[in-house]
Amino acid sequence: MEFFERHKSIATFISFTLFCIISLSVQGSGFTLSLEGIMSAIIMPFQKGYNGLHGGTSRLWAGFSELDRVRSELELTRSKLQTFESADVEFSEIKKENDRLRALLGMKEMLKYDSIPATVISKDPDNWFRTLIINRGENDGIKVNMPVVAYQVAQNGEVKELVKAVVGKIIEVRGSISKIQPLIAPEIKIGVKIGENRFPGLLSGYTYNSNLCVANYITRAAPIKFGDTIITSGQAGVFPPGLIIGTVVKSELLETSPYQRAIIKPFIDYNLLEDVFVIKKAPDKDLFDLFEEIK
Amino acid sequence: MIVTYIITAVIVLISLLIQSHPSFDVIRIAGVKPDLIFIIVVYVGYSFGSFNGQITGFVGGLFHDAASNSPYGFLALPKLTVGFIVGMIGRSVLKSNVPTIILLLFVSTLLKGIITLFLSYIFTQGMLSSIIHVIIPESFYNALLAPPLFFLFDKIFHGELEREGYL
Repeated sequence: MEFFERHKSIATFISFTLFCIISLSVQGSGFTLSLEGIMSAIIMPFQKGYNGLHGGTSRLWAGFSELDRVRSELELTRSKLQTFESADVEFSEIKKENDRLRALLGMKEMLKYDSIPATVISKDPDNWFRTLIINRGENDGIKVNMPVVAYQVAQNGEVKELVKAVVGKIIEVRGSISKIQPLIAPEIKIGVKIGENRFPGLLSGYTYNSNLCVANYITRAAPIKFGDTIITSGQAGVFPPGLIIGTVVKSELLETSPYQRAIIKPFIDYNLLEDVFVIKKAPDKDLFDLFEEIK
Repeated sequence: MIVTYIITAVIVLISLLIQSHPSFDVIRIAGVKPDLIFIIVVYVGYSFGSFNGQITGFVGGLFHDAASNSPYGFLALPKLTVGFIVGMIGRSVLKSNVPTIILLLFVSTLLKGIITLFLSYIFTQGMLSSIIHVIIPESFYNALLAPPLFFLFDKIFHGELEREGYL
């Protein structure tokens, strides 16, 4: 006992180090998850409170700038209305044609999913892991592996339009908060397709602190050019097919690999992200299990 | 000493809230932001010895892990190690002046980064490019932010430092 009293600093250091190493070795086990849950439950009310306080203060001081924003949003809505009115006739024709072709091909009706709106209350507390925490959780019906999307204004010629694009997927759910793994995280894996030519690839984050992604395992035969749109393939069973991810900024042929890869700029500006939508879609079990096996 | 623990816990919590809030992104430089919790860990180690430094590093790191997508213990282990090492040197060896504090934080952050990179190779997905993209920029950032924060902490902990005979 006297020995420990005399060397309490070193004894504590060894105990804490062992604790961390054991915790890292059994990561994802019930033990670490419940410990993390306790810590998370302690800081969660403070995170929500701070977020509410910050939001309230910002709203209080943003009176005049808010007016400007409302005015610009009104202009944007007007221009969108004009576009939609002119496009309405065209869309109904395309839909009819699409329905007819689907019926001919015997394809299933595309599924529509409900979504849960949420606000980002925490973002990247460290420089190593890309993390988003939202103010909705298990109590709101959110489950692990649900896809998360957001809307972003895009310039399409003269017209600005809102585009729905992928943010990431839910990886952890607590009572009233959830953690999102964004698509710029190097640990994420998403099945994607090059929009123009439908060649498949596997997308993950580029590096720890960049806002870019990389699509690997694209066949060398695929013609990839700057600006090609990347969409979800739906092959891993988590994301519905056809969701926009981003655009190609560079393609690379590696001498050591039989594949090529593409560097992708996500459509969603991660730095400006505030509101997201969680799509209430459970993973397609068979596809998901298969993908997890080969990952 | 209990007052020191309470004040430290409050500062760590406030730092975590500020650091993890989306609005803190505005101070990102070269893709990185400063690690406020780590600066506190170094301060506590430097001012109150290795025992307090490592406790702050361990507890602060576990809270940091809980708010991040990192595996549990990943951010705590480097912080507790640096807290312990800095505490062994402390105020008795390094005099409290601006160049010393800048150098201390720069070297400490480098050490933390190297331990984190080592852990990431073992437990997650290690990338050597993190040295350029994360470790070095964060070291500069923490080092530049440390003198005003140390000055502020000296004011907050003045009574405790005097009582414990560290001043």
